[in-house]
Amino acid sequence: MRIAITHFDIPPFHMRRSDGTFIGKDIEFAQKLGDALNVKINFVDSPPSFDAVVPAIAENRADIGLSKLSQTYERLAYVHFSAPYVTLRHALLYNRATISRLSNRRSPEGALRDFRGNIGVIGASAYVDFAQANYPKANVVQFPTWEATIEALKSGKIDIVYRDEFEIRSALIHDPAIHIEFGAAVIADRRSFLTMAICDSCLKLEEFINYFIAQHAGFYSLDDLLTISYGD
Amino acid sequence: MPTSKQLLKDVARCWNHPITVLGAVAVALVIGTSGGPIAESLRPIGDLYIALLQMCVLPFLLATIPLAVRAAMRGPTNVEIIRSLVVWIVCAIVVIGMIGVLVPAIVFHLAPFEPGTIKAVGALVGGSVGSVDLEFNLDSSGPAPADASNGLVPLVPSNIFSALSTDDTMRVLVFAAIFGIAMAVSERRTGRSFFGALESLHDACLLIFQWLNLLVPVGIIALIAPQIAPLGPQVYVMLAHFSYVFFGLSAAILIVSILILGVALRLNLPLTFARFSRPLMVAAATRNTLACIPIAMETMTRELHASQETCELYLPVAFATLRFGTMLHFAVATMFIGALLGRSFGLGDLLMVAVLSVAGSFATLGISGAAALAPLAGVLRPFGLPYELAFPLLVIVDPLVHMVRIMLNVTVNCIVPALAAGKQHTKITQLAAKE
Repeated sequence: MRIAITHFDIPPFHMRRSDGTFIGKDIEFAQKLGDALNVKINFVDSPPSFDAVVPAIAENRADIGLSKLSQTYERLAYVHFSAPYVTLRHALLYNRATISRLSNRRSPEGALRDFRGNIGVIGASAYVDFAQANYPKANVVQFPTWEATIEALKSGKIDIVYRDEFEIRSALIHDPAIHIEFGAAVIADRRSFLTMAICDSCLKLEEFINYFIAQHAGFYSLDDLLTISYGD
Repeated sequence: MPTSKQLLKDVARCWNHPITVLGAVAVALVIGTSGGPIAESLRPIGDLYIALLQMCVLPFLLATIPLAVRAAMRGPTNVEIIRSLVVWIVCAIVVIGMIGVLVPAIVFHLAPFEPGTIKAVGALVGGSVGSVDLEFNLDSSGPAPADASNGLVPLVPSNIFSALSTDDTMRVLVFAAIFGIAMAVSERRTGRSFFGALESLHDACLLIFQWLNLLVPVGIIALIAPQIAPLGPQVYVMLAHFSYVFFGLSAAILIVSILILGVALRLNLPLTFARFSRPLMVAAATRNTLACIPIAMETMTRELHASQETCELYLPVAFATLRFGTMLHFAVATMFIGALLGRSFGLGDLLMVAVLSVAGSFATLGISGAAALAPLAGVLRPFGLPYELAFPLLVIVDPLVHMVRIMLNVTVNCIVPALAAGKQHTKITQLAAKE
């Protein structure tokens, strides 16, 4: 079975080792799925972006996509999605000074809710859609990578970075110093459903995967994702 | 053979001796830092001591303020004292405000933050590594926060009994001052008043405070130990820049203030330090400026021989309104957060920080504890500095900072009447010498 993953690493979901093999939480999950199906797993890591994983399935270059993919309305037009295997709340990393100024004696929540400045997201990812839908009055700026997005925040090009709770908290864990200048907020009523993209005609496979996900409900947890470490 | 009354007096004197007080502080520090359960078990005794001290504060203010107002309205000498008090208050505010911005500006410029410190402080902000600051819903805006009340209306007690029952000191002070003026005018017109009754109430409160002073060493141990216990030294290491500057500056201001007190009152300096240690330690222990009024009054008038009239006129009102410790705290905190975020301050900015810190200290009137940090937002925001960052950092070190703030409030407020009444004191002494 061919499983599509992004060309770039998404630690701890999937990373390429120096010997060319893959490691990570998604990789382990895929191996377990392969064992359950009694098939050999091959990883297809050509998609250059999150969005590019979807056409890889739709155009039959892979059977399923397992690459921290969020379900979106646009993607649903091309592929089927499994049941979510993990749900992450949306989150923001924001410039404290800007939000403090905008909040003008109100709570920072108000300024974050009505934000109309520059919001940074990874380009060709589900968060472009999420940012445009949830912040219609803001200017959504796309960056090629997560690192570039964080750099843009640090350099003042954008005031907010929009992604999921896991990535925002990970950024703070890896560089606690940024927590001085930038605050972290969780949007409690917006969730990202990480699912597997499945080819449009693979209904039986989808049924099997949904059953597999239900059987492995505790495989992913936010705390586990935040603390797990894979050596090279 | 000493009589039993004399023996009791000797025991009381020994019990309240500065060495006993300092010994109590040492015992409290040992118990607090040992980390055992004893510190926490002392908390109820400390709470009882504070409750006893606060028990008579409002009756004392109700008696003292009208008496002080009457004394102020009596003659030209008092106008001179009031003028002198105002001049020294302004001087003290200017000095504290300027020191509060200039010293941190120089220190933070000469010793910038190291990356390791910034990382440690960053990890400290959320309480633990990787935690978020807040959660909110996009779909529900919730109730709009109430705007802070403006103007003088909140200071006027529409119902004095309600103000008394809710321990609303500012409103009680306003009522007592207006009532004192009215009663003094009425006394002039009709010759009748109940100032005599107020004097009895004032004396009775002072007598109760004298009795409670016997509990000072016990109160110090029971109040300081539980405050020290939950804090580890590593917190102060992480916030070293803020801690060094604030505590260093505070120590310098306390020492210089007591020196000024000694010089102004023409006293032997070691004696001044020894005698003033008692109100200072009660301030640290109670973390309540108003609760220190009686002991500060007693120390100033009976032990340091400052003008009783001036002290009674000034200290109760000043202890309730002039928070020099908060002024310094807000100024240093603003400079610290600014330095942390790499913001540079020009001379105009520094002046603005000082002015806003002074204004912010007045906004804390009637608030105590960590809630008194809220007006700091008004100092930070004009410079684009986030209060949301400052609060979690400052609240970590607030238990010790709060102690020092109150010590500063008490000490700096005590030098004002000493400086203001110096001439009057000399005149009276000269008159007495001539007679």
